[in-house]
Amino acid sequence: MQRDVGSFPLAPGLRAKLIGAGFQTAEELLEIGPCELSKEIGISKEEALETLQIVRRECHSNATRTTGEPETVKKCTALELLEQEQARGFIITFCSALDDILGGGVQLTKITEICGAPGVGKTQLCMQLAVDVQIPECFGGLAGEAVFIDTEGSFIVDRVADIATACVQHCQLIAETHQEEDFQKSLETFSLESILSHIYYFRCHDYTELLAQVYLLPDFLSEHSKVQLVIVDGIAFPFRHDLEDLSLRTRLLNGLAQQLISIANAHKLAVVLTNQMTTRIGQSQSMLVPALGESWGHAATIRLIFHWDNKQRLATLYKSPSQKESTVPFHITPNGFRDVHPPPSSQTPAEIEINPRKRPRLEGENQ
Amino acid sequence: MAILRAGLCPGLTAEMIQVLKANSITTVVDLVSSDLEEVARKCSLSYKALVAVRRVLLAQFSAFPVNGADLYEELKSSMAILPTGSESLDKLLDSGLYTGEVTELTGAPATGKTQVCLSIAMSAAHGLRQSVLYVDSTGGFTASRLLQLAQTRMGGEEEQAEALQRIQVARVFDVYAMLDVVQELRCSMSQQVLSSSAPVKVLVVDSISAVICPLLGGWQAEGLALMMQLARELKMLARELSMAVVVTNHVTRESSSGHLKPALGRSWSFVPSTRVLLESRAGPGGNASTHRVATLTKSSRQPTGIEVELDIGSCGVLEESPAASAEGP
Repeated sequence: MQRDVGSFPLAPGLRAKLIGAGFQTAEELLEIGPCELSKEIGISKEEALETLQIVRRECHSNATRTTGEPETVKKCTALELLEQEQARGFIITFCSALDDILGGGVQLTKITEICGAPGVGKTQLCMQLAVDVQIPECFGGLAGEAVFIDTEGSFIVDRVADIATACVQHCQLIAETHQEEDFQKSLETFSLESILSHIYYFRCHDYTELLAQVYLLPDFLSEHSKVQLVIVDGIAFPFRHDLEDLSLRTRLLNGLAQQLISIANAHKLAVVLTNQMTTRIGQSQSMLVPALGESWGHAATIRLIFHWDNKQRLATLYKSPSQKESTVPFHITPNGFRDVHPPPSSQTPAEIEINPRKRPRLEGENQ
Repeated sequence: MAILRAGLCPGLTAEMIQVLKANSITTVVDLVSSDLEEVARKCSLSYKALVAVRRVLLAQFSAFPVNGADLYEELKSSMAILPTGSESLDKLLDSGLYTGEVTELTGAPATGKTQVCLSIAMSAAHGLRQSVLYVDSTGGFTASRLLQLAQTRMGGEEEQAEALQRIQVARVFDVYAMLDVVQELRCSMSQQVLSSSAPVKVLVVDSISAVICPLLGGWQAEGLALMMQLARELKMLARELSMAVVVTNHVTRESSSGHLKPALGRSWSFVPSTRVLLESRAGPGGNASTHRVATLTKSSRQPTGIEVELDIGSCGVLEESPAASAEGP
């Protein structure tokens, strides 16, 4: 098969030397040995051997592919993908209105981006999702683990403990009403300690550490195969305050997005990113838009924007491949992320909206 | 610039090649552009043999001009126009997607590029019963949305399942994997002796800038070379195998004027023959969230600047309902 030399993953200098010497297709390269190649184009024997190995490997994978064996790039029909999608679960957010507009919850194998002004609830949702992904399967969850990459330092363990306790209580209530064997069994493993021990926390202080962490993530994921959620809380922060070269920033961000979607696809997990908002000054008015520029808007598959409307927090689904745009209200309660009108059976009537960063001391509140 | 190898053509033996190499004639171009009398004298080779070799090499490596009338006849028999599933989009594209050409859809995020691609794929698979290859590099392909589009068309569940089976999906997230897929497609289609499936008629690449943007910019020309390599492969596929190739592209903001322009720069702008820009503008009375406007920005057949209005609903990409389109483009 006539594969062009330019399409192999070789170093640019090497490629230039190969084309300068007249090699155009892979066939010409396969015919000569490493010693002749090194003499022809003036490279060392080790480099010549490596080059020929790369070319041979790519060509052989091509040859086996044409005989029907699946190799690196798998193609499947839309029907098979439909069956896979229908069998896949979602990560619920505990806010049924938000789950509805997302089509069931946060989707696996896709990147979901949450943008919003400070204090509107992005980190709260991330912490809620890190707990929700661990809900056992009999309660409708995924029984997975979570990776939390924190760049802003906003991960507060006490708050996660509160959310986890509320989630365990919720599941206990369901188990009591249903009285089934497997419910009781899975509740034994679903406790506060197990939830906290299955959230893998990484702290990155600048963009280099973040890029390195994402680069090393596939190795980590192959050791911990139960991870179903990767959260990057604050993808905008390291790229905005430290990086002056804007074109480098765009390149790095695009590369990062491609790596994340490739991880999401390969390990069948959901990736959730949070982004900041910035002001764009137009002709006559200014509006709040997600940060990191126009090209970053293409990186996320699903985009949610959180904003305020007087005192009410609203979530808008701004970009989705399968759901249409809509807006729903939500609340942040001591138990976590919830609906505005909670179902009457499970919640107490007086829900107080509390900003977790500034907890006022109320009478009778347990610390 | 192919290298001279033994057996490249009859009459070119290994000894001849050694002698020529000693006189610094290594590639085909060197041989056909040199003065053969001098070469024959310096290398002590037969002049007649060299002339014969040159004739064969020229026949093998050069391109021959084609008569315009012959070209027209050939195009009439091989070109097809595929409807996209939306009548107003077809009107914009001069009755549909032309095979043998690359069509580009560009637009800001959430303007409907993936939806139009899904609609095109479903229209080709269900309506025309053609095979489609969908190359997804952003993760935006949702099979349940495709099923929704299929269900709004006529036909029972079996037909829908068949249509879904005709659409093949490849998920690639970097440029080398994309080059792999494209070259493998060309290989499998040109070797088509016994194949179980019909030949692929539509290739949708969503999106191409996701894999190329990380490589462009800075001081490296590497990214540009790979982009042009990919462009050449796509054009070869379109032309040689008479496929319709649809590509989606991002937009970037021009720093000076603040206008949106397609990404990937000026070099890429010469690759597609037709370019459509999708924008979301607030409709007059209709639903602002599903109203889109498609503008033709480059075409070899229609005047540029014509606009049509589209509505992206649960049934796919439809034309705007008559009540709201009273304003016109």
